[in-house]
Amino acid sequence: MDPILIFICIIVGGILTSIGVHLMPVGGAPAAMGTATGVATGVNMLSTGAAMTGLFTASTVAMVTSNIWLVSLSGAVGSMLMLAFTMLSGTLIYTQGTGIVPVSGRVTKDPITGRDFLSYKTPQTDGHGTPDVSFLSGEIGAFLGGFGGALIFYSLVFYAGFNIALSGIAALGIFLANAVLSAYNIGGTIEGFHDPKFKLLPRALLACFVASLICASFIYIVAYALPIGGI
Amino acid sequence: MITITIAIIAWILLIAFIALIAGTFEDLESDVGSQSNPNSQVQLAAQVGYINRFFNKAISGEPPAYGLYCAVSAGIAVVFLGQGYSPILAIPLGAGIAAIVHMLLASTAYMGRTASQRRFEQPMYLDVLIRQLLPIATHGFIAVIGITTICYIQAYIMPGVLQSAFPMPLLGLIWGITIGSIGSSVGDVHYGTEREFQDRPFGEGKRVVYHGRITRYSECGVRNQNDVVYFCAKYGGPITGLAFGLILLFENWRSLLGFSLGGSPEMAIAISIGIGIVIAVALFFINYALVGYVRKRYGTFVGE
Repeated sequence: MDPILIFICIIVGGILTSIGVHLMPVGGAPAAMGTATGVATGVNMLSTGAAMTGLFTASTVAMVTSNIWLVSLSGAVGSMLMLAFTMLSGTLIYTQGTGIVPVSGRVTKDPITGRDFLSYKTPQTDGHGTPDVSFLSGEIGAFLGGFGGALIFYSLVFYAGFNIALSGIAALGIFLANAVLSAYNIGGTIEGFHDPKFKLLPRALLACFVASLICASFIYIVAYALPIGGI
Repeated sequence: MITITIAIIAWILLIAFIALIAGTFEDLESDVGSQSNPNSQVQLAAQVGYINRFFNKAISGEPPAYGLYCAVSAGIAVVFLGQGYSPILAIPLGAGIAAIVHMLLASTAYMGRTASQRRFEQPMYLDVLIRQLLPIATHGFIAVIGITTICYIQAYIMPGVLQSAFPMPLLGLIWGITIGSIGSSVGDVHYGTEREFQDRPFGEGKRVVYHGRITRYSECGVRNQNDVVYFCAKYGGPITGLAFGLILLFENWRSLLGFSLGGSPEMAIAISIGIGIVIAVALFFINYALVGYVRKRYGTFVGE
């Protein structure tokens, strides 16, 4: 049973990671100049930073309980809090340090709060800051990404029998593989679920499914086949 | 039980304060060494004819760079701790060796980057290289020693259930990546949007036509990165530190509150998850209110 659960957890974790990365509002280098909407860093950088906080929380919780939902949800909430504080601090800099109103460059009106964007946007830019819809999308994305990362970590600790440190490093590696694949699909910047690029998600899900399957196979070999001399 | 709770609260507050200092200096180091997303403009500047005296060491993103420095520092510190050294000696020794690694990367990155821009006639200023290396190392040292101290507290000192299951070097990697991610996301905006384009109109996103045309003069003569740090230390750096400090504070606080309120461990964790979700929802509304306030205060775009 455990080998099947390893495959299921790692593949589901990888797919959740990919969905989460697509939901995070990331503006890359242009956002650091207020030329693009989103958080001013790269997709993998942001998602990995958030996942690390989630992984830390999940590892602490895994010492107390072996409940898969509690460990995974703890990682998800840790990741969500990290991104929420980061986005809020970014808004503080945009609004109070540079005098810029956060707006989207892809839609004219906020799909959640109905706020108008067009009349607040600087010409020749692709939006700036983190508007309400992107903030919400980012929180959901970090939640899913953190859940995925913690789920992978859980399967390595409780199903593969790795020690905590090795599980942390391996979970980080599998998370990064999925995050980088998703980043290639996004191609630099994305604002959240309202961005037209979000429709490219199925392509990334397929790629992440294959990548996670390969990762799970290696984990299976290391955890089961090697110790009994199967190879 | 009360004594243990008070001890945990004391350590949580200390960790949050150290995180504030470390986050601030991490961002200021990326400003003094120009290692972040805004550095794309420094690289572009020479290509559009803007010969400049900015330092240029963005050979990797901040998260992997700080993951490296902090993991090196925590790893060295663990070795010294294993030899029986006191933490007061072991942690600075680890951070010191990480600072040497940092300076090596910074110097080769600057020379390599600038040499590759020869076709754009960008000179390599030796005074920029020599004068900036020490500020880069010292700012980085403070950030790394802060993270290493946090790792030490979480791995060895933190009482009860909040003690980390990860070994100290892995904690160094985790918090190094996280602090790099936050510094890269938050403080960069002040450097990139405001400081690099101080001669452009205030209160608007920087248009694509401005890209690469960075300001090269400042308050005190020919510009160097010390002026950048002086500027960013007033707002961008502290806000970055605040973000990292708040993350660690609320992450630990919700766990502590959960374990104080819940009976069984499962119930305690469920409560801490619930508190985390409430905080995240509250942050959304704070952001909503802040954006609403500035929309009313600044009004619609009035430029050309």
